Amino acid sequence: MTSQEIVFILLAIATGGSALMVVTSKNLVHAALFLAATLAGIAGVFLVLHADFVALVQLVVYVGAIAVLFLFGLMLTRAPIGREALDSQNRGLGTGVATALFGVLVALIVDAYADFSTTAEQAGREIAGPSTAQLGEAIFSRWVLPFEVASMLLLAALVGAILLSRRDEGDSGEGEFVATTVTLAEPPSAEGELRELPQASGGEA
Amino acid sequence: MSPMGPLILASFLFCVGVYGVIARRNAVLVLMSVELMLNAVNINLVAFQDLLYPAEADASGQVFALFIIAIAAAEVGVGLAIVLNMFRNRASVNVDDADLMRW
Amino acid sequence: MEQTLDLAWLVPLLPLVAAGIITFFGKLMPGKGSEIGIATVAVAWVISIGIAVHTFSNSPIDALEKAFSWSPLGGGFTLELGMLVDGLTAMMFLLVTTVSLMVQIYSREYMHGEERFTYFFAMLSLFTFSMLLLVIANNTLQALVGWELVGVCSFLLIGFYWEDKPNQDAANKAFLVTKFADVGLVVGVIVLASAMFGSTSTPFNIGQLTEASIHGDIATGTLVFGTLMIFLGAVGKSGQMPLHVWLPDAMAGPTPVSALIHAATMVTAGVFVVARLYPIYAQSLAVMNTVAIVGVITLFFAGFLALVQDDIKKVLAYSTVSQLGYMMAALGVGGYTAGIFHLFTHGFFKALLFLGSGSLIHAVHSNNMSDMGGMRRHMPHTFWTFIVGSLALAGFPLTAGFFSKDEILVSAQLWGDNSATGDFVFWLGLAAAGVTTFYMARACLLIFWGEYRGAHAHHSGQDHEAHADTVISTPHESGLQITVPLRILAVLSIVAGFIGAPFWSQDDNFEQWTATHALEETTYPFIAGGEHAIELEGEVESAGARNAASPEEVGVALRAGPLATEATEGEGPSNHVLHGPPEFHADVALYALVVFLLAVGLAWRIYGKGEPETDPTMNLGPVTKALVNKYWFDDIGYRGIVVPIRDRLATFVNWTSNEIIDGFVAGVGAQTKRIATGTYDTLDQKVIDGGVNGAAFSAAWWSDKLKRIQSGDVQRYAGALVAGVIVLVLVFAAA
Repeated sequence: MTSQEIVFILLAIATGGSALMVVTSKNLVHAALFLAATLAGIAGVFLVLHADFVALVQLVVYVGAIAVLFLFGLMLTRAPIGREALDSQNRGLGTGVATALFGVLVALIVDAYADFSTTAEQAGREIAGPSTAQLGEAIFSRWVLPFEVASMLLLAALVGAILLSRRDEGDSGEGEFVATTVTLAEPPSAEGELRELPQASGGEA
Repeated sequence: MSPMGPLILASFLFCVGVYGVIARRNAVLVLMSVELMLNAVNINLVAFQDLLYPAEADASGQVFALFIIAIAAAEVGVGLAIVLNMFRNRASVNVDDADLMRW
Repeated sequence: MEQTLDLAWLVPLLPLVAAGIITFFGKLMPGKGSEIGIATVAVAWVISIGIAVHTFSNSPIDALEKAFSWSPLGGGFTLELGMLVDGLTAMMFLLVTTVSLMVQIYSREYMHGEERFTYFFAMLSLFTFSMLLLVIANNTLQALVGWELVGVCSFLLIGFYWEDKPNQDAANKAFLVTKFADVGLVVGVIVLASAMFGSTSTPFNIGQLTEASIHGDIATGTLVFGTLMIFLGAVGKSGQMPLHVWLPDAMAGPTPVSALIHAATMVTAGVFVVARLYPIYAQSLAVMNTVAIVGVITLFFAGFLALVQDDIKKVLAYSTVSQLGYMMAALGVGGYTAGIFHLFTHGFFKALLFLGSGSLIHAVHSNNMSDMGGMRRHMPHTFWTFIVGSLALAGFPLTAGFFSKDEILVSAQLWGDNSATGDFVFWLGLAAAGVTTFYMARACLLIFWGEYRGAHAHHSGQDHEAHADTVISTPHESGLQITVPLRILAVLSIVAGFIGAPFWSQDDNFEQWTATHALEETTYPFIAGGEHAIELEGEVESAGARNAASPEEVGVALRAGPLATEATEGEGPSNHVLHGPPEFHADVALYALVVFLLAVGLAWRIYGKGEPETDPTMNLGPVTKALVNKYWFDDIGYRGIVVPIRDRLATFVNWTSNEIIDGFVAGVGAQTKRIATGTYDTLDQKVIDGGVNGAAFSAAWWSDKLKRIQSGDVQRYAGALVAGVIVLVLVFAAA
């Protein structure tokens, strides 16, 4: 067991545990924070895997921006702070599917890589992975086209996000969030009933 | 290092993300779980790049991972905009309530 | 004169044309159609005289036969409309046209003022046509048509006064009884024709039939059956017992009708047909005997019935039945010439008697003799013509009836040399002659002698005279149109017999006139020792279906009597059917005269004073009872035939039709309906609709079950997706 592996295992435990807490935490903000932790842990894993630029980008983008974005989203959607109600009714399905998938994948992985011995695992080989310069070169030579497309995508996403979150009557609006209550029509089956949507009150305590 | 470790971690994260997508009620949390899944894939890619094809000059694994990060960011942005809209229309981000497509 | 035979077809045609003209235009004419009728019959009469003279002077003549042929089935079978003109035809023509002419002239006065006068004349012409069609026919089918037509005309004319039900009933009775007999005629015609089907395309042709029967081409069984069936038709039409019952009732018709139809012409049709087919009848002794027996029974028993009648027409009717029996009996004992000679003469004097009685009835307004009396003073012409007719009927010497009746008795006597039937006919014929004389004398005495009893002339039910309104206290003589025909007929009653008399010419006499070659042929081989018999014995087998070893067994087997012996020694054909020139038989004439005198004397003793109150015929106890009830024939007929058929058979058939047949039909209908309903209910409603509805239902059911997949829950979709991914991974990993 090399030191790399040890470090990796520790990081993996942390990451995995954080990830579990993300999906099982009753407190939404805790879940967001656990997500941030998970993302950080993943950055650490990247570092272990000699992908320093990716790790830093991960930290900057994910932890720095996306996690914060999530927190903003929770805030703007009046996520209930504190204890949340139970999960949706699909818990059983989720558990079953997830464990099945995990089982299958683990089986396949173990089956494939159980007797892994790389030629690279020569003692003393210093594998550092591509440097940032090399990465930059690769991006702008071989992968330039996807790079440009990705930038277009980012533009589109930017414009789209602004458009979607725009208010109807004008620019950034003032005033209260007035939730538009929509009364649903009678669904075609006998099971459906007219459901009154909860008023736009504050979340539950 | 055997790629088994990172791969198993990646699959674990992926499955946790799947569970979260299916089982969480809040739309934002669903998006978070989707992020988890994307990150799991990133780990996979980087692991392959590092442990199986380290001499690759293109560093395609890492490049791919970078792209995924960018796209995931875009996707989260748009996704949260949608969730915001949903919240505006219904005053709730409960995915259980969004069943207009129900029979 | 040869050409007159070619005109023979005009004789039936003219009355037919007259019938048509009278029907359509009669009412518009001044004489109301009677002049057309009389004119056409007069022309036909003249032609008939021409034909008669020609055939008589060239007797025996070869028959002239012409016909329109028509093959509806294209060869192999031909229908004919034709004429066969020989002596028999000419004789019948003369009889029919003469009597018809006399009757039509008579009817002008007799039926004067009658509302259906024109109809009457149209019917008379139509009847004349029908009878002539029958007479002239050269094939049995045409004869059948004429036969049926005369039946129809008879029905219509008997029922002339149909407003009264008894008259209607009489017409029905006549028609139905003769129709029953006509079944036999039709069957007989077809049976005889069937024997000829293969060998000729005209199986109904009379000439061919007689030829075939002579040459033995017709099997004995077929021949006997066919001839007996035809004879059954003749029994009905000619009023032989037991089918005579319609004739007396037919007196319900007007008297001219009785004179024409029921005395002279229609009733003789049966005798005529037997005479026409005589060669065929002569082939079988059994048939001849049957004919003779039926005839003799009729002639004997019918006469007695006339003794108890008060109605003059009834007396004459029974007399007609009896005389028809004479004719049939004559034919049955080989007296071909005698039979038709009597037919000829009887036609004249019976018509005379009927017309005379009509004159009396017209004057007295009653049919009953009890309402008459002393009429010789009031109606002299009627008186002496009636007496002449009565004498002729009774067979007074030198009247026509004398010669013809004697001829019959002679034939019977000759036949009797061999067969008992002949003797039977002879003695009973003689006795009946006496009865005939007696009842005619009775009638004459009651009508013409004594005092007139009809001062309070009451109208009987049958008395529908034209001007039956005022009570005429003393009757007066009828007009010329009545008395002139009477006088003509009276003369004929005397002279008509001369052509068959012994003192007439040897070559041209009645027998030669009516003889045919076929008839001579028929009877050749039966002359024992005759030239043709010798020929025949050698070839009896090869001659065909004689079906007998010797001539004696077949047909008219006679031992030589006095006449035949004479003839066979000489030349030429002479035999017991055709006797050759009539000879005077003193013994027969003597018997007849004695009987005549006895009967007249007896009648004079009883009725000389003309008092019917002590009528001894009514006091004979059970005999009277039997006679008055007409031997209960009508009762038997009614109770035995009419009632079971009408009340039981008809109701049964009606029940069958309504219950069984209609029930069957209704049942089929109900069954069909039930099947249809069942098919609808099960097949259509349950199976087919069930299938269609079931398809829709199952689609809805499945959709109801499957729609729950679309829960609207995105997370569930994601879960399903991942599960699918797992499956795919496993699949690919396994692969």
